[in-house]
Amino acid sequence: MNRRHALRHIALISGGLALIPSCDFSKEDILAAYENLKITASQKALLGAISDTIIPAGEIKGALDLEVSDFILVMVNDCFTKENQDKFTAGLNAFPDYVNQVAGKKYESLSVKEKEQLILEAAKLEGDDTEEGKRKAAISYFVNSTKRFTIQGYMASEYIQTEIIPYSLIPGEYNGAVLITDLQKPRING
Amino acid sequence: MANLNIRSRQERTYQAIVVGSGISGAWAAKELCDLGVKTLMLERGRNVEHIKDYPTTNMLPYEFEHRGQIPQKIQDENPVISRCYAFREDAMHFFVKDTEHPYVQEKPFDWIRGYQVGGKSLLWARQVQRWSDFDFEGPARDGFAVDWPIRYKDIEKWYSHVEKFAGVSGNKDGLPHLPDGEFLPGYELNVVEKYFAEQLKKHYGNDRHMISSRCAHIHGNADYYAQQGRAMCQNRNLCQRGCPFGGYFSSNSSTIPWALKTGNLTIRPDAVVHSVIYDEEKGKATGVRIIDRLTKEMEEFYADVIFVNAAALNTNALLLNSTSNRFPNGLGNDSGLLGKYVAFHNYRARVSGEYEGHSEYTTSGGRPTSGYFPRFRNVFKQETDFLRGYAAGFSAGRGAGPDTSGIGMDLKNSLLNPDKYGPWRVGSHMMGETIPKESNYVALDPNLKDEWGMPQLKISVDYDDNDEKMVKDYIEQMTEMFTKAGFTNIRANDSKQAPGLDIHEMGGVRMGKDPKTSLLNANHQLHAVPNVYVTDGASMTSTSTQNPSLTYMAFAARAAHHAVAESKK
Repeated sequence: MNRRHALRHIALISGGLALIPSCDFSKEDILAAYENLKITASQKALLGAISDTIIPAGEIKGALDLEVSDFILVMVNDCFTKENQDKFTAGLNAFPDYVNQVAGKKYESLSVKEKEQLILEAAKLEGDDTEEGKRKAAISYFVNSTKRFTIQGYMASEYIQTEIIPYSLIPGEYNGAVLITDLQKPRING
Repeated sequence: MANLNIRSRQERTYQAIVVGSGISGAWAAKELCDLGVKTLMLERGRNVEHIKDYPTTNMLPYEFEHRGQIPQKIQDENPVISRCYAFREDAMHFFVKDTEHPYVQEKPFDWIRGYQVGGKSLLWARQVQRWSDFDFEGPARDGFAVDWPIRYKDIEKWYSHVEKFAGVSGNKDGLPHLPDGEFLPGYELNVVEKYFAEQLKKHYGNDRHMISSRCAHIHGNADYYAQQGRAMCQNRNLCQRGCPFGGYFSSNSSTIPWALKTGNLTIRPDAVVHSVIYDEEKGKATGVRIIDRLTKEMEEFYADVIFVNAAALNTNALLLNSTSNRFPNGLGNDSGLLGKYVAFHNYRARVSGEYEGHSEYTTSGGRPTSGYFPRFRNVFKQETDFLRGYAAGFSAGRGAGPDTSGIGMDLKNSLLNPDKYGPWRVGSHMMGETIPKESNYVALDPNLKDEWGMPQLKISVDYDDNDEKMVKDYIEQMTEMFTKAGFTNIRANDSKQAPGLDIHEMGGVRMGKDPKTSLLNANHQLHAVPNVYVTDGASMTSTSTQNPSLTYMAFAARAAHHAVAESKK
């Protein structure tokens, strides 16, 4: 069992989250499972809410049901360079103020349509060398990374790959000339 | 050295010792065992048993914490191995990490290693093309290195021998410079690959060919391979994890279990071979010294004949470290050329493009191979301003993807119903012959040692002007061929990757006719110590363009039979 599994395990048996105290007493404790990031439980919840906007629940489960926010943080924590981790967390930190600034409310108070609009716009923000430009670039980087990992974590989840689009380890004999019109599959309604 | 004498000399004596359990070592061991020779196979890494020790083989994508990606910390600590295409979360445990086994790069060299029973045979790309006399005669015709002491006729039946047993699928293509072999049914080229092959015929007559690459996968004759406990390839394309079907050839799935069944094979994993023991009175090698990887204790094993198949550069290292009064500069090194004339394959350039035609088609299922472009430059005569030439891989592919531009239910439905077909994507990579030179060499570092007290290997290998010209020509020619075939968005890329990343390093213990200019004779024996054989990549006099493993297998089988014939004299 690695450290992260151990921390999850402790969180399960203790009925709460494994936390480490932050240095700044005015703030919440930091989630210990993502040791390279300084992420609080409410930030993880915000990330979950964003993933829910990107892939919502419907006839089949959505990203929030599958806790894709954990996958996103694991990938950022383990697979990003320090520089990109800093950019991602800067974007995450700046996100609530950004929402307030453009929508006048907290993210969770927005309608589904408003959330979708806001995420699509945030993904297109362009930065420059000014403080404000750096903030915009970080927000855009954060939103795009979150979208990319939401898609990856959702599609490569146990739920999707066993119950919705079963993954086959054995793909069958090669056919090098298949007519696309012969490949009509029943449509999956999300 | 405490336990040196605990076991009697007799208990540590065999008829043959094979150093290394990779593709060539295990072939030597299998042939020796089949011929009734009590054989000890030494492997520096841990044991890996077929199926049992393939922990990731049946894992599903979501079971990998990072979905296949290597965490940044591991990449930062191990930059060399992280550049290898197959170093991914599913096969990470079969590769040597930079931090574990340091070496000295006098010039940048990405040394990719697999230290375990089976070696890199678990990880190889499984492409197996025969050499022809256009390859063996290269050095003599073009005036580089030394003449090979053998020709195609010497190795032909051994190619057949190893192909039948390993299982090679391919088509009889009838090309004089890429001889046909003992093939199981070949894998199909797809509709665009076939189109490209036809376009080549149309524009270049019978000069340029693109064929289905011959690969070491079982694609027919299932009953025969069931004797080895292997089954048909299931097109999983997860080979690097180790195959539970034994669908592709590896030492672990094929030669090792076969040799064990004879009752003649003993495998000793965790045995870092220190040196070959040379007996000055007897004038021959009598055994090897090993250091136990875990206890660090030294032990000796003895045999009448010794095969050194430690993988090209480690075979050089071992012979260089085997010093004696008779051979102060390394075993069999009277010529002073041991470690020199190292060469490799030039994999630097790729050309990619798109094809708008055949848009009504796609592919389904999987296959373990793709297209292969045999060498067409300077084959029958010298025709360019550089020596030799290049082969190339070629493949075309097309799949449906989702539109990921949206968000919410639109995005979700698009992801669940991927139906956007872009154009066909086509791609090619070069596999260039490099010219062995004295200035490309490996040597033992006089100061730096590894964890086992063994000198670190110093590698000094680089590209030359011939390689630069070849990269340029490949890019020009492939771009021209793509253009003539109607491909668009053609992009060429020279990665400038360091030598070594091709994982086709060769030479340093080259074969030749003259002991003054080579280390090994026509039978793979050290000229000066004929009971020591080298049949791995170290023995290569030149490199040609073909993926070399099949040739090492044939060399090992041939040399094993020679050794047994000699012992009966």
